[in-house]
Amino acid sequence: MKDREIDAILNRAAQTPHQVEPALLASLANSVGASLRPVRPLPPAWTLVGGLVLICAAVAVAGAARFGLHGVEKMSLLDRGLIFSALGIFVWLAATTQVAEMIPGSRRRVSPGTLLAAGSLALVAVFAILFRDYHTHRFVPQGVACLTAGLLHAIPAALVSWLLLRRGFAVNPVAAGLVAGTLAGLAGVTMLELHCPNFEALHVMLWHTAVVPIAGATGALLAWLRGRQDGAAARAIAMPR
Amino acid sequence: MHPESELEILMARYQQGDYAAATALIHRLSPQLHRFFLVQPGGRAEADDLLQETWLRIHEVRHTYRTGEPVMPWFYAIARHIRVDHYRKALRTTRREQPLEETPEVAAVPTASGGTADLEALLAPLPESQREVIEMLKIAGMSIEEVARATSSTVGSVKQKAHRAYAKLRERLGGKALSEGRGGGLQ
Repeated sequence: MKDREIDAILNRAAQTPHQVEPALLASLANSVGASLRPVRPLPPAWTLVGGLVLICAAVAVAGAARFGLHGVEKMSLLDRGLIFSALGIFVWLAATTQVAEMIPGSRRRVSPGTLLAAGSLALVAVFAILFRDYHTHRFVPQGVACLTAGLLHAIPAALVSWLLLRRGFAVNPVAAGLVAGTLAGLAGVTMLELHCPNFEALHVMLWHTAVVPIAGATGALLAWLRGRQDGAAARAIAMPR
Repeated sequence: MHPESELEILMARYQQGDYAAATALIHRLSPQLHRFFLVQPGGRAEADDLLQETWLRIHEVRHTYRTGEPVMPWFYAIARHIRVDHYRKALRTTRREQPLEETPEVAAVPTASGGTADLEALLAPLPESQREVIEMLKIAGMSIEEVARATSSTVGSVKQKAHRAYAKLRERLGGKALSEGRGGGLQ
């Protein structure tokens, strides 16, 4: 059997007229009409993407400025160019993906999981190319301090991003949480690159990059927990004891 | 006027609070959304509930539609969300309520319901992800790009699912035709 024949069979089956009860249609029109008022559509996607990129940049620069811009001052021109270009590309990609996740029926260029994996791996690769000092000095204490600082800066980035996109609607909340966490994590890494003067390769590759997957996983987990909570609340309303 | 642009205009008027536009959208899109739910297990009553839930959600989030963007993927993305959410909740409830009995496979059970028995029977053996792609392509008449938008996936992934669905249907329909041919020969 050829595809054309299958097509014809499916088209015939799909063209069978299908009716919905007129009473149901009337009830739907009534319930929609009862609360019908003009609404302001969401702004264009580029405005929202621009807003998210600005939020990330503002959080990273403000945080680094407060603690000192020691990292960027110590970097060579090549370091700055490669690191901040990579961060800029992934922040823009994450912002685009997050906006797409918050608007139903949007075109998706990359899945949130792929973005997280690609972003983390790309950062590790850039750091591996630029930093060749494989000595470690107070590896864990310094690493934990950077990781904590990065994650602490991811929190305000995530909160302000959420404020910007609060009118959106995520058809897949876990994916939206994952990409929101990834974007916030990238803001945290940007702050670390501006601030941290420790250029030991392992420190940067492990502790700085770890901010992205940890923030991404936290975002997905929070969204999943919220979904479960909403589900439990809905069940409690549906089946009162 | 192209049906898609007409829907876009209705949607813009619905956002402006036009009751006639909202009613027109409900009358235009409800039959195909209902059918989208009806092809799934659960029967007509469940499809009615899902349709109501979908319109309530559409009404809540109507501001997220942006003029100039395709309308159908926006509607179907919300309908799909409602359906996935519903079956996830149903599965959780079933697990809690019948811990000692075997849980039936939700996606594979065909049900007889008015008007769509043929399509339903045809699509029944397909996995959920392939079935929804075929439904959107055939019932809603969406393009592959629009289906990708509605299912939050890529064009390549939709093409792959459609290709696999056709392979399965070919196997099934070919087998059926063969057995009917043999049956005919015996009579």
